[in-house]
Amino acid sequence: MPLNRKIIHIDADCFYAAIEMRDDPSLRDLPIAIGGSESARGVLSTANYVAREYGVRSAMPTSVAKRLCPSLRVLPGNMHKYREASIQMHRVFRQFTDVIEPLSLDEAYLDVTGSTFFEGSATRIAQDIRAQIVSKIGITVSAGVATNKFLAKVASDWEKPDGLTVITPEKQSAFVSTVPVKFISGIGRVAQEKLAALGVFTCADLQQLDFAVLQKNFGSMAFRLSQFALGIDDRPVIVSRERKSLSVEHTFSKDLPDLQACQMVLPMLLADLKKRMAGRGLEPQLSKYYLKMKFVDFKQTTIEQSIKAPRSDEIFSILLKQAFERYRRPVRLIGVGFRLSSIEPRQLVLPLFT
Amino acid sequence: MKFSVVRETLLKPLQLVAGVVERKQTMPVLANVLVEVKGQLLTLTGSDLEVELVGHVPLDECEEGRITVPARKLMDICKSLPESAVIEFSLDEQKAVIRSGRSRFSLSTLPADEFPNIQDMQGDLTVSIAQNSVRRLIDRTGFAMANQDVRYYLNGMLLEVADGQLRVVATDGHRLATAVEDAQVSGDLTQVIVPRKGVLELNRLLNDSDDVVELTIGTNHIRAKVAEYVFTSKLVDGKFPDYHRVIPRNNDKIVIADRLELRQVFLRASILSNEKYRGVRLILSNGMLQVFANNPEQEEAEESVLVQYQGDNMEVGFNVGYLLDVLGVVDTQEVRLSLNDSNSSALIEEAQSHAAQYVVMPMRL
Repeated sequence: MPLNRKIIHIDADCFYAAIEMRDDPSLRDLPIAIGGSESARGVLSTANYVAREYGVRSAMPTSVAKRLCPSLRVLPGNMHKYREASIQMHRVFRQFTDVIEPLSLDEAYLDVTGSTFFEGSATRIAQDIRAQIVSKIGITVSAGVATNKFLAKVASDWEKPDGLTVITPEKQSAFVSTVPVKFISGIGRVAQEKLAALGVFTCADLQQLDFAVLQKNFGSMAFRLSQFALGIDDRPVIVSRERKSLSVEHTFSKDLPDLQACQMVLPMLLADLKKRMAGRGLEPQLSKYYLKMKFVDFKQTTIEQSIKAPRSDEIFSILLKQAFERYRRPVRLIGVGFRLSSIEPRQLVLPLFT
Repeated sequence: MKFSVVRETLLKPLQLVAGVVERKQTMPVLANVLVEVKGQLLTLTGSDLEVELVGHVPLDECEEGRITVPARKLMDICKSLPESAVIEFSLDEQKAVIRSGRSRFSLSTLPADEFPNIQDMQGDLTVSIAQNSVRRLIDRTGFAMANQDVRYYLNGMLLEVADGQLRVVATDGHRLATAVEDAQVSGDLTQVIVPRKGVLELNRLLNDSDDVVELTIGTNHIRAKVAEYVFTSKLVDGKFPDYHRVIPRNNDKIVIADRLELRQVFLRASILSNEKYRGVRLILSNGMLQVFANNPEQEEAEESVLVQYQGDNMEVGFNVGYLLDVLGVVDTQEVRLSLNDSNSSALIEEAQSHAAQYVVMPMRL
């Protein structure tokens, strides 16, 4: 690996909403969001910045968002349009590099280390990408330029929306000290609270923390956290990245004593799962139900079952029972989700004998 | 046994008859062609037990007799002799001797009695139809026949005879092709399946003339008399899918497009489609069809073509090969595509007619 890589992280600003505002400028100053309707107990996938001022966030149930912002207009969204825009964005990226790792339709890492464009200046490549996307697609993206994926992603978020943040190797160590830990991917609300309890708010704080303490609290994640805190991230930009599964899990503040208690929390987990799946268009790829259970003594078991149409959430309840029966002891963690099949093209067959 | 013929008189029937002979056989005699002289007539027969082809050549001077000789070798010898050469065929003990000019060949033989012949068939039904009509039927649908499918009844072509018409249907489970032509029919409505090889060999016999070919359909065989040839094929015993139910009737997204223009668009897009799956994405909007292809190397093709269409936008994927097969055989200036959604079959027809219909299932990309 070269001493200093040049990684650009591109992230569109409220992507779906931006596309809708582009196509209907009258929406520009109104609070809008893309997502399922309130009556269908839908969830939002994106909200524009006007809506965000009201506290509306992605993955928020539409009913909650409507309470925060009664004038919110919720649009059903048009995946075809978004995919089209995404393809256009990638066409811009590919002018500069083939090493592109898409994270979603509107977000990607680019490795431009070997690029000769603009005399190899990643900053100017990022500027050009941003300008091209504005003129060709009519939306804005934020970009971060750094020597690794972690910092590039933090940087793209730094001056969002419509921002460009460059972290040069010289500024890197000073910059990373100021980064709040919540910017680290993998640090959710729970981890943030845990760190806050330890007096850790920024990466500088994290650097000071004794590694043993970190390990005690975060287990296998501790090493990666301590590396991130120093601004070190050796993960390569992986060109074809295929999602293998999609799941949510929850560690309970108090262990669940029995099967009945587990069944009680299942609807909450399934609701979370539904939120995670919203707007990703993964339905055609779902191949297996997946359930994970971790017990009080850290024994762990997982169960998978092929999905037979039609898909039903009730299967999870059966899997839950099967998993619990394996050890019959208090449960500290439950995860539910789906295994995904690869998205190879599939020729459909004629209904010859129906 | 003895006869003399001019090379050209023998070569064409020999090539057709030898075409039936398989390269690998279950019985040694099936590698041979049956050569018979009776009266003033030379009869050549090739068979693979499923398909049999008999060709006739009139002779002048001859001595009667029957023998079998290796089909391909006899054909290669005739083919490589000079034009208009006179070929003399005779028997010498167990060998067949072929003389022409200063050339002499001695070929192994097997007795004629070992050669299997399809017994005289009972004809329940006869169909008289122009050669070019049969040819058009096969040319326009044959590509959709399955090949070595475990559903053996798909490895062939359905012939349906009814009401002064001959209809053919072929499907491999992903697409279906059907076409119909007028014919003179005596007998009741019937459906039979002709095996794939029979269909292809029959087509080789036919020319583009209006000359009539007579089809006789029995319980187990179909026979076609075409000029000086008699073609017989076993029928496939099985139940063919009901094509009526496969043809979509309620597709309401109707696209009219120029056939050649559309074909060019698909041809160009296909260059950068995935070589294994050959998927292309069609995006339909008012008055416009866009076609996208890409491959694992991330190369991309984008095409757009003006079409007659008014309706909702829709997106659907197809194996571009299936679309090109259809556009290669219909011959009107415009084609009509009837679509429903990205999971249901599309119907492709000539814009002004229903004489040929093509059903293609989409591909999920």
